[in-house]
Amino acid sequence: MRYGFFISICLFLLILQTTILPYIPVVQGMYDLLIPFVIFISICLPIRESLPFALALGLIMDNLSGSPFGLYLTFYLWLFIGVRFIIKFLRVSNKFFLSVVVICAVLVENILMIAIFAFFGPVRQLPVDAVGVVTQQFLWALATGPVFLLSLLVLAKRLNLQWDGAAPPPNAYG
Amino acid sequence: MFSKKMVLIVGVIILITVNVILLSFSSKSQSTFGLGRVGLSLVSPFQELVTRSIRIARDIWEHYFFLVSVAHENQNLKKSLNQFVGKSNQWHEIDLANSRLRDLLNFQKAPTNKVVAAEVIGKDPSGWFKTIIIDKGKSDGLQKGLPVVLPTGIVGQVIEAAAHYSKVMLVIDRNSAVDALVQRSRARGIIKGESADQCRFEFVLRKHDVQIDDTVIASGLDGVYPKGLRIGRVADISQRNSDIFYEITVAPFVDYEKLEEVLVILPPQKQDIASQQ
Repeated sequence: MRYGFFISICLFLLILQTTILPYIPVVQGMYDLLIPFVIFISICLPIRESLPFALALGLIMDNLSGSPFGLYLTFYLWLFIGVRFIIKFLRVSNKFFLSVVVICAVLVENILMIAIFAFFGPVRQLPVDAVGVVTQQFLWALATGPVFLLSLLVLAKRLNLQWDGAAPPPNAYG
Repeated sequence: MFSKKMVLIVGVIILITVNVILLSFSSKSQSTFGLGRVGLSLVSPFQELVTRSIRIARDIWEHYFFLVSVAHENQNLKKSLNQFVGKSNQWHEIDLANSRLRDLLNFQKAPTNKVVAAEVIGKDPSGWFKTIIIDKGKSDGLQKGLPVVLPTGIVGQVIEAAAHYSKVMLVIDRNSAVDALVQRSRARGIIKGESADQCRFEFVLRKHDVQIDDTVIASGLDGVYPKGLRIGRVADISQRNSDIFYEITVAPFVDYEKLEEVLVILPPQKQDIASQQ
C-alpha cells in the first residue's frame, strides 16, 4: 500500500510536469514539482527507502530532461541530505519552516541550472531569460509549493502511511 | 584520532568534489554512463497513454462539438489548395528541368532519405532545457544524431534513443548548434538556441549581405541536417563597431510550443528497416 502510494504520486507528478502542464499556457514556468515530493519522502520514509527513491527520481528526471546527466540526481541527493540534516540535527520541522525549505529548494535548483550554463555550458554565459524563468518558478513555488507539501503530509497521515520509526517530525502534520 | 564531526565534514567535501567533477564531465561529453534510456523506457509508456487520451478527448471536442467555423475554414482551404496546385505544377516542371540538367552534367543523384513520423509525447520538465520525447525509437530505425524536421522547418536532433522512445534536443536549446546559410546571399554562420521563440545566428561576417526577413537554411556542412532545410527568418541585425561579425537574431519557422507530430529523417542504411514496417 505504502509503496503503491508513493510510486503513484511520483508517476502522476512526472506525467503532470512532462505531458500535461507544458500544454497549458497559464501554468508555463512551473517549478519542479518533484522537489516537494523529495522533501516529503525525506520526512516520511526511513533512509533505506527514501534515499533509493530520491536517487531513482533523479535518474528518471535526468533521462527525461535535456540537462547534463547527473544534475537532477545530484540535486535530489543534496536536497535529501539537507532535509534529513535539518530535521535530525536542527530539530526544526514545523509547517512554516518546511514551506520555506520548499521555496529555498526551488531557488537552489534554479541557481544550479544557471551555474551549469555559466561554468559548464558550451557558451559559458548566463541565459538571456534567466531572470524571467527564476521569477516565474519562484512565484509558483511561493504560491503552491507549501500547500502541495502540506497536502502530501496530510494525505500520508490520513492514509496512515507515515513511517513509524524515529524520523518523522513530531509536528510536521500540524 | 579524528572526531566524528571532522569525518563528516571531510566526507561532505569529497562528495561535493566528486559531484562537481562528474557534472563537469557529463555536461561536456553528453555522456549518460549507459543509464540514459532507463527513465525513457519506464515513464514514456505512461506519457504516451496520457498524451493519446488527451488528444482523443480534444479530437472528439473539435470534430463533434466545435464545427461552427469548419465550413468557412473549408472554403478558405479550397482556395489555398487551388493556389498551391498551380505552384506545385511549376515546381514539378522545375524539378524535371533540374533532373535533365543534372543528367547533362553527369551530377550524382541526391539520395532521397526516408522519414519516420513520430508523435510528441512529452516535453522537458525544466524551464531551462528544450527537449521533447517522441514515440519512436531504435526499433523504428532511430539512432542518436538523426535530424528531426517538419515541413515548415528544422525541429532538432535525436540525442538519446531507447527501444521505442527517443529524446530530441530542439534547435532552440542552448546546447544546440546548426551550420546555416542565408538563402539569398549564401552568408554562412552557426544557428544557436537562445530562448523559446528565437535563435542567434553567429559568426556571420560583416562583409556579407544580410537583411531583415532573409530566410536562413541548413548548409548541410554539420553532417546532421540535410542541406536546404528551412530554419527561420532574420528578425533582427545589429553591428558593433569593433566586431567582425553581425549579431543576428533568427525567428524559427517552427512553433516549438505547439509541436505534436514530427518527422525523423533516417540515414540511407536505415531505410530498409522503415520499409519493412
